[in-house]
Amino acid sequence: MAPSVSTANSATAFVFSRTFDASREDVWNAFTQPEHLKHWWGPPGSSIEIARHELKPGGMFHYRMNFPDGRAMWARFIFREIAAPERLVWLNGFSDEHGGLTRNPWVPTFPLETLNTVTLAEQDDKTLLTITSVPFNASDEEARVFSGGINGMKMGFGASFKVLADYLTLTKHKGENV
Amino acid sequence: MQDQLSATFSALADPTRRAILARLALGETSVTELAKPFEMSMPAVSKHLKVLERAGLISRGREAQWRPCRLDAGPLKDAAGWMEEYRRFWEQSLDRLDKYLREREAARTKSKTNGSGKKSSKTKSKE
Repeated sequence: MAPSVSTANSATAFVFSRTFDASREDVWNAFTQPEHLKHWWGPPGSSIEIARHELKPGGMFHYRMNFPDGRAMWARFIFREIAAPERLVWLNGFSDEHGGLTRNPWVPTFPLETLNTVTLAEQDDKTLLTITSVPFNASDEEARVFSGGINGMKMGFGASFKVLADYLTLTKHKGENV
Repeated sequence: MQDQLSATFSALADPTRRAILARLALGETSVTELAKPFEMSMPAVSKHLKVLERAGLISRGREAQWRPCRLDAGPLKDAAGWMEEYRRFWEQSLDRLDKYLREREAARTKSKTNGSGKKSSKTKSKE
């Protein structure tokens, strides 16, 4: 499949921000120190075990996510830029237990790694955290899949299409008689 | 062969196709109607519709001469679910971070008020 109208994939970024009622140092430490990370990092419902955490350029944060149903998955960061307390850049990906990169298990054509940047800005007594995620070294197809997922989400397809899809499933049989 | 989620996201990568889907979310319509908002030839629109159809996101009716386009629920639902998960991953991670930071701050304030807090120079006084 070679769509002729593939547009501006490189411009697609996932951006997310949040303000914390905490000092920038505290947020930075929570993001960069293993004893803090294990208290909050990881998918909803999971706990993490940290196998490796080397906070230096090229260093790896390698961890296992344990899910309530007994499943486990590994993932890793490779740190690229560490500018305390305002900017952290890392390559984000799934991995095996030895730290080797693996594909996204749900979307195999998702980019193997994304380049994630966290910036922390002081706002009075609070801290504004912004995460930006872009595909790293992605093939055209991987960039397209990322772009479709992220842009679809930005348009609210995630939430609203879920509702719509439920509705369509519900009304499908009736619709066929019309 | 692509898996379904990859095919769906790949199809969603194009802004015209996203706009077509957003239009179809309002209800089925004809290709002519779909083409109206775009400065695009009918063959160009048909091409986008083919991509969407191949990805299983839309179907074309056979019951009428004008072959209405409509959304197909299944693959879209899976894709929507994944997108929601992705967003929720970040949202809930940062919720937990927020909670964790508050707990630490509370613990620090407590240890300070319990005396022996002489050297907590970094603690912000809030009230």
